[in-house]
Amino acid sequence: MNRTLTGCVIKGPKSIALDFAPIASSLLYQSQALGMQTLADENCAGDETLCFEFETPHTAPVTCEITRWEDPSRQAAVSENIMQAACGLMSVHGRTHRQPKPLGLNYVSTLTAALALQGSIAASIGRLRGLPVSSSTVSMAAAGLLSMSQYIAGATASESPETTVTARPLPGSPPACPPFVSLDGVTFELETLDAGPWQKFWSTLSVSSAAAGKGWRAFLLRYARAASPLPDELLLAISKLTYHRISQVCARTGMAICPVRSIDDRAQDDDARQIWQQGPWSFSSFSSGPKPNGDYLRPAGGALPEDDLPLSGFTVIESCRRIQGPLAGHLLALLGATVIRIEPPGGDPLRGMPPMAAGCSARFQALNRLKTVREIDIKSAAGKTEIRELARHADIFLHNWAPGKAVLLNLDHGDLAAINSSLIYAYAGGWATDCAEHVSSNSMPGTDFMAQAYSGVAGKVAGAGSSRGGSLFTVLDVLGGVVAAQGVTIALLNRYMNNVGAKVTSSLMSAATLLCAEDFRDIYSLPASGSKPSTSIINDVYATRQGRIAIECPDVDTVLRLAEVLDLTAGIENNGFQRCLSEVFLSKTADQWVELFQHAGIPSAVVIEDLADLQTLAHLQPGLTPGSYTQVNSPWRFK
Amino acid sequence: MPITISIPTILRPLTDNQKRIEVDGSNVLDAIERMEQQYPGVKEKLITGGQAHRFVNIYVNDNDIRFSEGLSTRLTDGDLLTILPAVAGG
Repeated sequence: MNRTLTGCVIKGPKSIALDFAPIASSLLYQSQALGMQTLADENCAGDETLCFEFETPHTAPVTCEITRWEDPSRQAAVSENIMQAACGLMSVHGRTHRQPKPLGLNYVSTLTAALALQGSIAASIGRLRGLPVSSSTVSMAAAGLLSMSQYIAGATASESPETTVTARPLPGSPPACPPFVSLDGVTFELETLDAGPWQKFWSTLSVSSAAAGKGWRAFLLRYARAASPLPDELLLAISKLTYHRISQVCARTGMAICPVRSIDDRAQDDDARQIWQQGPWSFSSFSSGPKPNGDYLRPAGGALPEDDLPLSGFTVIESCRRIQGPLAGHLLALLGATVIRIEPPGGDPLRGMPPMAAGCSARFQALNRLKTVREIDIKSAAGKTEIRELARHADIFLHNWAPGKAVLLNLDHGDLAAINSSLIYAYAGGWATDCAEHVSSNSMPGTDFMAQAYSGVAGKVAGAGSSRGGSLFTVLDVLGGVVAAQGVTIALLNRYMNNVGAKVTSSLMSAATLLCAEDFRDIYSLPASGSKPSTSIINDVYATRQGRIAIECPDVDTVLRLAEVLDLTAGIENNGFQRCLSEVFLSKTADQWVELFQHAGIPSAVVIEDLADLQTLAHLQPGLTPGSYTQVNSPWRFK
Repeated sequence: MPITISIPTILRPLTDNQKRIEVDGSNVLDAIERMEQQYPGVKEKLITGGQAHRFVNIYVNDNDIRFSEGLSTRLTDGDLLTILPAVAGG
């Protein structure tokens, strides 16, 4: 049932502003993967927003509006990189290099497209349930801020907020952080979630225990801080061995290893084309039911929604740790669902991860503040019984257990469907399936950095010149969380349309495929589903008298306007022009330049280097709520 | 010999909300057991089966005890023992 929304129609503009092109392309890919009919509408256009309509066979169309900024009165020109700069993403990604760097991926655009589609589907569910919802709005800035939620929380926590952490590379040398490079030049990731394999691995390489211990702390904190300054001793030991030899040591010590692959490598995998064709979600229905009668519109608890959010009254049982799964639950809570989070007895240890805000980890709260908690030992018989009882009365069960664990616990989709056939059973994993066997990647921990390496995302980031492989910003955890929540929302709509519960599987790997969908299309030599954005003429970050500025000129007209503002018309055709820019920008502050460029319609932004500054910016304030840490608000607005 | 233990927020309900505690102890286990005498319940949050919990990291002056002598890691006057939860993504 993978073309889950067959019968639904999405209608969008024929021509769109250049900065919305990557969003439109991703929207088309996702819509077509879901089996929707896609139509072009001349009346549904405009440079200020990207508008589309979403219609189900059972509802009138809902309108979805995509804006650039949270403050709709601000119409400053943007682009993918400008938004990465303005929301702090460029700085977080660049921490290992001690300077902001673009990711080299259409990341904010892909997030925006996924959130916009989810908003319109959620609005339709609300409409089907009798709520007065006719439109949803999402902004690129809101998507960018959402991706930074945990980092913003850490930077603004009331107790010892994090300051930017950077590696300290020698001048001209690569940063001392993952990924690693072997003697024969293979770039690769290492992963383990336990200190034991790490200790054995480095001991085998004759690295001192003290250095291995310091490296372990930095290695663990890379998830939280997007930096991982490792002792030189570790990198030196690695650099003396071939990749083959390092793989052998990994096999003996229990350390996981994965080379940084290219998208081309990934495209040759047996499952790659199918995942690309089906989109980032895999759906399977529990059973076919009678004709739709609206029963499944009512939350399992029977209560009618009390407020106006589309998923109010639906109950989600979440058994997830770390980032991807909890973010999915958080997004469903932002749409109004009641989320009951299962934590081990004593609570999730991550509640204690500094920095703290009002007695709990600020990072943890960024993803879990809207949930109620039940402490359950899921391995005990009593715990499993309790979970079954929760699932019996719930609408959604969401987990991110290791592959094969659900079967071992007798809490797989079949077990829970037997007691609640209308349940949406969602699995947000690392790899493309929750089966423990027959997929080689499933023997590796399904963590962000391993998935970046395996999927080709890390290779693409490296190809853009912003790192030697991948990002220590949790690229796939965040997008994977959005994709998982999106899959649940799609399955809820399908539950109404086809009267069936379903299992929906998504993963870091499938999120990676979504992120690079255009690359796969090119590799498989298929025609573009929309106009392909061309490479910009100028797209860089410059130092100014105070702060850095990101600037992008997608076409010659914009370059000419830039030259006019800078009074550099002479010599624009020669190579010296771009070198000139570096000097000219030093004459004013980044704020001053951005103000000038906005008037001229040149995409630009001050590069946010301290995430605590975000809450002081008027054009982003509607997306943030200050407090014991700064919360990122819901990316959706419904009317 | 007095050493300082930095108490994570999550354990402070067990330590009368104190952020730092001074105890004597010749090694990490000894220090934790002495802390347990003053603040019952702390030890079981940190140790199971004679080992530090998998999801807890214990540092002596920024050095992870697992890479030294574990709970037997020796302490000297003025050492700082820090307790932090482990973290990962995925």
